[in-house]
Amino acid sequence: MRPQSAGNWLALPVVAALGALCLAPLAILFAYSFFSVDFVTISHDPSLKNYARILQSETYRGLIARAFGSGLLVAAITAVIGYPVAWFLAKRAGAAKTMLLTLLLVPLYSGDLLRIFAWRVLLGAEGAINRSLIWLGAIDAPLQGLLFSPLATHIALTYNYLPFMVIGLWLAFESLDDAWLEAAADLGAPGRDRFRRVTLPLTAPGLIAGGLMVFVMVVGDYLTPQLLGGASGVTVISAINDLFGTAFDWPLGSAIAWTMLAILMLCFGAGATLIRRSSLVAEGA
Amino acid sequence: MAVAAKTAAGRRTRPLLEVIALHKSYGSVQAVRGIDLSLANESYVTLLGPSGCGKTTLLRMVGGFEAIGSGTLMLDGMRLDDLPANRRPINTVFQSYALFPHLSVLENVAFGLSYRAVPKDRIKARAREALATVRMEAMADRRPRQLSGGQQQRVALARAIVNEPRLLLLDEPLSALDRRMRKDMQIELKDLQRRLGMTFLHVTHDQEEAFALSDRIVVMRDGRIEQQGAPGDIYTRPATAYVADFIGGASCLPGRILGPAGKGYAIETALGRHVVPGVAGLSVGARAVLCLRSEQVALGDTGTPAEVTHAVYRGADWLLECVAGGQLFQVAHAGPPPAPGETVRLSFDPDRVWIAREAA
Repeated sequence: MRPQSAGNWLALPVVAALGALCLAPLAILFAYSFFSVDFVTISHDPSLKNYARILQSETYRGLIARAFGSGLLVAAITAVIGYPVAWFLAKRAGAAKTMLLTLLLVPLYSGDLLRIFAWRVLLGAEGAINRSLIWLGAIDAPLQGLLFSPLATHIALTYNYLPFMVIGLWLAFESLDDAWLEAAADLGAPGRDRFRRVTLPLTAPGLIAGGLMVFVMVVGDYLTPQLLGGASGVTVISAINDLFGTAFDWPLGSAIAWTMLAILMLCFGAGATLIRRSSLVAEGA
Repeated sequence: MAVAAKTAAGRRTRPLLEVIALHKSYGSVQAVRGIDLSLANESYVTLLGPSGCGKTTLLRMVGGFEAIGSGTLMLDGMRLDDLPANRRPINTVFQSYALFPHLSVLENVAFGLSYRAVPKDRIKARAREALATVRMEAMADRRPRQLSGGQQQRVALARAIVNEPRLLLLDEPLSALDRRMRKDMQIELKDLQRRLGMTFLHVTHDQEEAFALSDRIVVMRDGRIEQQGAPGDIYTRPATAYVADFIGGASCLPGRILGPAGKGYAIETALGRHVVPGVAGLSVGARAVLCLRSEQVALGDTGTPAEVTHAVYRGADWLLECVAGGQLFQVAHAGPPPAPGETVRLSFDPDRVWIAREAA
């Protein structure tokens, strides 16, 4: 047996496990999305009814659009915050770099719920922010909009997923040669042009990679809006959850899940193409 | 610009670049310790020295990439100190070339023109002209990483000269090229500088490169200027033992000055007394060195006895290493070499060798 084919055989268990545990459930879900519910049983006559329902329903379309809107918004905010942080880590942190990177990841070691409840403590009517503002005399009554609002959800989501954006950008900054920025300055480019014409295009792969990660995770986040969003906590993910649970409409739930999946795959494809194109540049194929 | 009018008047009379009492330290390390230097217009000047001598730091301060510790930089009589790099009429060819990997060769060269008073529709044409100057117009649409080192070097050069800088800085530009390529580029650099009538300030640790290119060589050591002058002066009349050794690897025989004699001094060395020309200002009793270059020492029937330790074939001749009086000498020898261990006699023409200071 040639070593190469031995390697292929050794990879078989992994491929089989991935197929059975990851791809098969998705395939089953995909099949379900073409079925329909007949009172309490599931009818196995295939149709596109579920997808038609999603298209026609303003509620579902709205929920899907809101999920992707949130993903884009949080990705954008984390990019704006992440750029200076990543630049500092790569170019200025020096010996403290390892420690700062570890600190950046520390929140990820604690549980989701823990972080969410921490934000409740901060944002609640009796929370740290309201108390301080009242004590300072800036307000008379607690600000109610802080907690259980889209604001609270997006603050927590940004906080949760910022490390992923920073890591992506940090890697990009590590491979950004300072000589390029010096060359740009040498050729007459002021600071903002150096960012626009050199830093931004050369860190774009990191921005896209980090952005995709944040985007996907925000779109799929269930707990944060549920526990911090109040009335706005109804998301497309919670809708899918309801359809599989109390509403017992697995086919519609599957169809929504697959619609989300298809859109996410499109986003990934677009991102991957962009990264490949910019790394072609970097490696000069 | 008002600056342009001023320069036209001042161009003939004052030096292009003046470096006055320049200092720079990093923490407790003094990289540049008090440099005074002036560059004539349209000259090719080389900063020559080993790594860590402060030559690159000096260049980076002129370019605006490094803040000045203390002292002043003047270009065309205008203070550069507080001008950021992007507003100095100076361009740089970087050691790593620093070509933008995401832009084509043409876009790289055109980059700086968008910050000059060049009409938009002329930018591409000007960039192509600059590429033609370095014979790279055929590569205009390639990416930098698709080019060889020598080609990247030419593009970096085109990207800098297209902006018609008052001063062009070159930071070890040939160090990444192989020997053959380096020779070709040396000729091209010198030729380009003459054709463009531009002033080049070139940093290198390679003395051959400095000789091939420069109108003037500035030898640096430990953040100071050890000696500056025309290449011929530096080679034949080194001021210190350091310069004599660094430039052309002269053997420096230590001695003591006995007093002025003839056109130079009488010097007492381990190999006897000699009367030899030397640097001005050596007093009686001062410690000095007698500098002997390999081509100035000959084997003969008379002279100082020495033992041959090595013989290295160099193609045109042999380089012999001989020891006499505990001192190592190098001798260029045309004929078949004596075997190592053999005793030979060394002699030199006292009028053609030189006495230098032991230290600055």
